[in-house]
Amino acid sequence: MSTDIEKLDDHHHIPSGIMRWITTTNHKDIGTLYLWFSLIMFFIGGAMALVIRAELFQPGLQLVVPGFFNQMTTLHALVMIFGAIMPAFVGLANWQLPLMIGAPDMALPRLNNWSFWILPFAFTMMLSTLFFESGGPAAGWTLYPPLSLQGGDSMPFVILSIHLFGLSSILGAINIIATILNMRAPGMNLMKMPIFVWTWLITAFLLLAAMPVLAGAVTMLLTDRFFGTSFFTASGGGDPVMFQHIFWFFGHPEVYILILPAFGIVSTIIPTFSRKKLFGYDSMVYATVSIALLSFIVWAHHMFTVGMPLAGEIFFMFTTMLIAVPTGVKVFNWVATMWKGSMTFETPMLFAIAFIVLFTIGGFSGLMLAMVPADFQYHDTYFVVAHFHYVLVPGSLFGIIAAVYYWLPKWTGKMYDETLGKIHFWLTTIFVNLTFFPMHFVGLAGMPRRIPDYAIQFADFNAIASIGAFGFGLSQLLFLYILLKTLKKDVTAKDKVWEGAEGLEWTLPSPPPYHSFEKPPRVE
Amino acid sequence: MNKNMKKTYYLLTIFTVFMFSFSYMLVPLYDIFCEVTGLNGKTNQTKVSVINEQPTERFVKIKFTSTVANSAPFIFEPVNKEMNVQVGKIYTTFYTLTNNSNKIKYATASPSVVPSQDAEFFKKIECFCFSQQEINAFETKELPLQFIINNELRNETKTLVLSYTMFNTTEQAGLNSENKIYE
Repeated sequence: MSTDIEKLDDHHHIPSGIMRWITTTNHKDIGTLYLWFSLIMFFIGGAMALVIRAELFQPGLQLVVPGFFNQMTTLHALVMIFGAIMPAFVGLANWQLPLMIGAPDMALPRLNNWSFWILPFAFTMMLSTLFFESGGPAAGWTLYPPLSLQGGDSMPFVILSIHLFGLSSILGAINIIATILNMRAPGMNLMKMPIFVWTWLITAFLLLAAMPVLAGAVTMLLTDRFFGTSFFTASGGGDPVMFQHIFWFFGHPEVYILILPAFGIVSTIIPTFSRKKLFGYDSMVYATVSIALLSFIVWAHHMFTVGMPLAGEIFFMFTTMLIAVPTGVKVFNWVATMWKGSMTFETPMLFAIAFIVLFTIGGFSGLMLAMVPADFQYHDTYFVVAHFHYVLVPGSLFGIIAAVYYWLPKWTGKMYDETLGKIHFWLTTIFVNLTFFPMHFVGLAGMPRRIPDYAIQFADFNAIASIGAFGFGLSQLLFLYILLKTLKKDVTAKDKVWEGAEGLEWTLPSPPPYHSFEKPPRVE
Repeated sequence: MNKNMKKTYYLLTIFTVFMFSFSYMLVPLYDIFCEVTGLNGKTNQTKVSVINEQPTERFVKIKFTSTVANSAPFIFEPVNKEMNVQVGKIYTTFYTLTNNSNKIKYATASPSVVPSQDAEFFKKIECFCFSQQEINAFETKELPLQFIINNELRNETKTLVLSYTMFNTTEQAGLNSENKIYE
């Protein structure tokens, strides 16, 4: 390894032009690519969400035909989960992990380049299905057979793109694990690692365990449709319910893939602006590990109404509720970190605090959904939509936005506009609640999800949610403006941007040199 | 590349390949799990031989229902909608299947028992659902079913529902046997 690094040392110049980005093996460049890609996907998926909310502004069918509405709900989910949230976390990992553990780069730089450049092809292919005569995928992102087997020509394209971005995630995860396990600065043992590194290590293992299962499930769909197998075709002795089991065996670890890195980000930001050490570092690590392990034995709570033996329902109900324990440990640790701290409320801190409050609301509605008898009523209603948007938008997304505000001055050496950042925060937080809170009410009253029309009594809350969604979407244009404005500024940021910040990345200049930590730092 | 790093890559790659194979291993595992728990009301799909079954004093009601999947051109109905049967005794009943189209068709039936916990005690000795049925244009066929209720049936069970779904498998039949001529 050491000889390889010395060879790289020779060229300190930064290549320029478009080829810099296509051929780059630099973890900072690749991190930047991932983050821009996910921002573009975020706006594409957001536009789809606005089509959905525009249609649902009033009862009746106004703007789109039901078939297209179904394509929007399906693609909105696929784009946001696999195109926006996951690549954004991988981008943050690329930028931060080497800086935080004192490594010169990721362990497999060439592979790193590949795992990014697969993504634009995968999503171009997936989105191109919208222009097919038979339209895009419309069976929901969960691709349940038999409906997904009856779709148009989009189906094989969507499955191939799932294979591609799954491959990208797996390669990324291997790279991240190899980096964390083998390239830490001397003296940094596992229990001294920054908490963000810990959460990403566990997330990467979840990715390795879950993504191949998704690949297997969609491959079975593909062979059922085109090669005469009968994994899920009842007429050939298969069982469509089995798909749901295999899918959610992937799907539940997946939801923790979407949230654990955000836990790490919040656990980094809260101590910085409370000017205290993270309360209960060890328990944070153990809580993360137990959440990850539990995530493999709770999958059937997504399908309580499918017809399961009572023993199965009870088992999955209790294991699901058990997850509330390590999650509760985390929430209490964050609150205890803030307790009696000298807190200040810069934009990253505001997003982190909103994360704790709103994610906890999403967690509570999750507990309600965990109860089998209650779930029979909530299943496939807007209550579920409210629940997972509360954990994904003010959860994962707020974590990502907080991280960008927190590390942007480090990455670019330029300070964002604090006033605009705060305005962005308040607009986002108000509108996110305006969008998703009313969904709890219409869901409890029985409004089903994924349907373009609804009964007249749901009209008022839906109108409110639609107004909130457009407000939320437009506020994110302000985020884009803040980013672009920051990039135009001069380099003025200090090395240690935040006075309460701790970690190796703050020992580097802002922005850090193209090749950093060529000689590993010593950790005491 | 040092030794530790190589070892990490190998282990992680093997783990990924294992998890992909695991998704396929879930298929037989699921079937075993269904068989053990009686999940989905799955009944035996091959002939059982009945030894040591003694007729008992106990009677249960069996209801027969039928469904045609995906609006296939079939009329499919039980001859007896309901039977009062003695536990441990062999019975024979029939379903009728009519092909309502002007082409030869292939049909496969898939059975299910409710309550699903009793599925394992509903033993089929002879059933049309064991094989694919070939049926000519506008033909009506009587399909036999021979069964026995195992005397270990749970005490609280008074009624069993046996439901068949008839699938049009003409396309799959075309995939499997190339020499068949349609029309």
